[in-house]
Amino acid sequence: MSNLRRTSSLKRTQQRMAVLFILPALAVYALFVLYPLAMSLWGSFFVWKGLRMVEFAGLSNFSRLFVFPSGARLYGALWHNTAWFFGIMVFQNGIGLLFAWLLFLRDRGAAFFQSVFFFPAVLSPVIVGALWRLLLAPGGVVEWAFNGLGLHQGSLTVLGNSHTALGMLIAVDAWNWMGLPVLIYTAGLRQISGQIFEAAKLDGAGNARMLFSIALPLLMPALGTLTTLSFINTFNQFDIVYVMQGVQGNPSYSTDTLVTYFYRLAFGAEGAVGITDIGLALALGTMLFLILSTGTLLMLRFFDRHTVQL
Amino acid sequence: MSALAISGGPVISRQLARLPGWTVLAVWTAAVLLPLYILVVSCFKTTAEIYDNRLGLPQSWALDNFVNAWTRADLGHNFINSLIVTGGAVILTIVVSAMAAYPLSRYRLGWNAVMLGLFLSGIMLPIRLASVELFTLMRNFGLLDSLTGLILVYSAIRIPFAVFIFANFMRVLPSELDEAARMDGAGEVRILFQIILPMVKPAVSIVAIFTAIAVWNDFFFPLIFIFDDRYKTVPLAISVFVGQFRTDWGLVFASLAISMAPILIMYCLLARQIREGVGAGGGMK
Repeated sequence: MSNLRRTSSLKRTQQRMAVLFILPALAVYALFVLYPLAMSLWGSFFVWKGLRMVEFAGLSNFSRLFVFPSGARLYGALWHNTAWFFGIMVFQNGIGLLFAWLLFLRDRGAAFFQSVFFFPAVLSPVIVGALWRLLLAPGGVVEWAFNGLGLHQGSLTVLGNSHTALGMLIAVDAWNWMGLPVLIYTAGLRQISGQIFEAAKLDGAGNARMLFSIALPLLMPALGTLTTLSFINTFNQFDIVYVMQGVQGNPSYSTDTLVTYFYRLAFGAEGAVGITDIGLALALGTMLFLILSTGTLLMLRFFDRHTVQL
Repeated sequence: MSALAISGGPVISRQLARLPGWTVLAVWTAAVLLPLYILVVSCFKTTAEIYDNRLGLPQSWALDNFVNAWTRADLGHNFINSLIVTGGAVILTIVVSAMAAYPLSRYRLGWNAVMLGLFLSGIMLPIRLASVELFTLMRNFGLLDSLTGLILVYSAIRIPFAVFIFANFMRVLPSELDEAARMDGAGEVRILFQIILPMVKPAVSIVAIFTAIAVWNDFFFPLIFIFDDRYKTVPLAISVFVGQFRTDWGLVFASLAISMAPILIMYCLLARQIREGVGAGGGMK
């Protein structure tokens, strides 16, 4: 009897303590993340005057978003983000798999290469962007090396050329984050039983066959994590563009992304500088939120379903 | 000739077979280290020397660029701001997240799963999209142009990840730990801070490292919340420098080196923990 009373009094103490323990984290998180996010979604259905909501507007912000002139920016940015995502999937997560596989085949020195490859990932994209901006600038070391090796003569203007600038930013982003797929694939490969590879080798499978027919299907969880992370990261892309190409995504908006466009609308650098269009910005934010959440959920589901169970 | 082929042949061919793999890895190692090498040696050169002698070591290891970056460009000030913001956010995140994760992972309460789900959903929420509302909120609280404001925002953003890590580590501790302490009359606060928290030291370091990296590197929130030079953090200052001191390459290289130094040192000390944390946690972004 007394034992029972003690358990129930412990339960009551715990309930009270739980509230006290959770409250600080919940308050900070709710106030600075959940509340502003919910308000932003809600606010995208209103007409705004400066930073003030004045009138319910239904979907008019959204319809404005899709027609000229904002439609041109929107479709441009959507295309750049999509190209960026596929670029990263091929040049970062694809080549990263090759690196992880090479490190897996010869275990010696793996820790060294992993540490070197991951190093740029701990640096700020701002620093990475600034560094590459200097290296790629006219008169910079890349131009000098290309001239010296006879690969190109004269001034190299990759960042100033609207056909090459976006590709260069994707490459810099891939340089920044290459270590991430290497680490995640390596962790995935280590979880695969060595016996599977031994058996395959006995059956005469070569390295390429083992990589594509055995390792890759078993690496689905790792690939799922990387695809989802790359997707979220790509559709939040801002820093590298801002530092290397300015907030307009120069030259002539060829490196503009959804978030740089959002930033210009929200903080007044689109069109007449200093004038914001909060309604349009929030509509863009809501659309971006929908893209990110449905995209992420679809990917998680897809990779969950295609995971090979052993 | 033939003797050499017989005795050394298999060994040599095995090593030859490995050559393409090593070459690929070596090429990427160079692609990572060469830009960093250029960054470091250029810090000690004048702009003229950077043009004349691009790859070589500097003629003299002059510290002028560092001194100028620290004083003339006032990077020292930004550096201290970044230290305060990063330190503050790391401590606040660890304390409140560990407190929240303790009951969520170790008490049997009806609403635990829902509450944990609410926190975890934040790992995927794109907070940048809420920056207009966040701006208004910060303005109303008088938190624009303040380091406290940045600390609160960064903690809020990092809490979901931290709660996730702490809850995962605390869940697997044996329940006898806190039960025995309760028998001895310890209160819940003491159990958390003197018994549970020391047992999950790896979680504390994972949260500390990844919060520190994310906060030190962030640029977006200082860009929209900080206008006064007195409160600018390092990445924000760097983004201004690159344009402003465009022609003084040595100075810009030196300021980049200064701003990455703390992370560089931390990475060299903790490379292994970071590698394993990323491998196990599936990423830190």
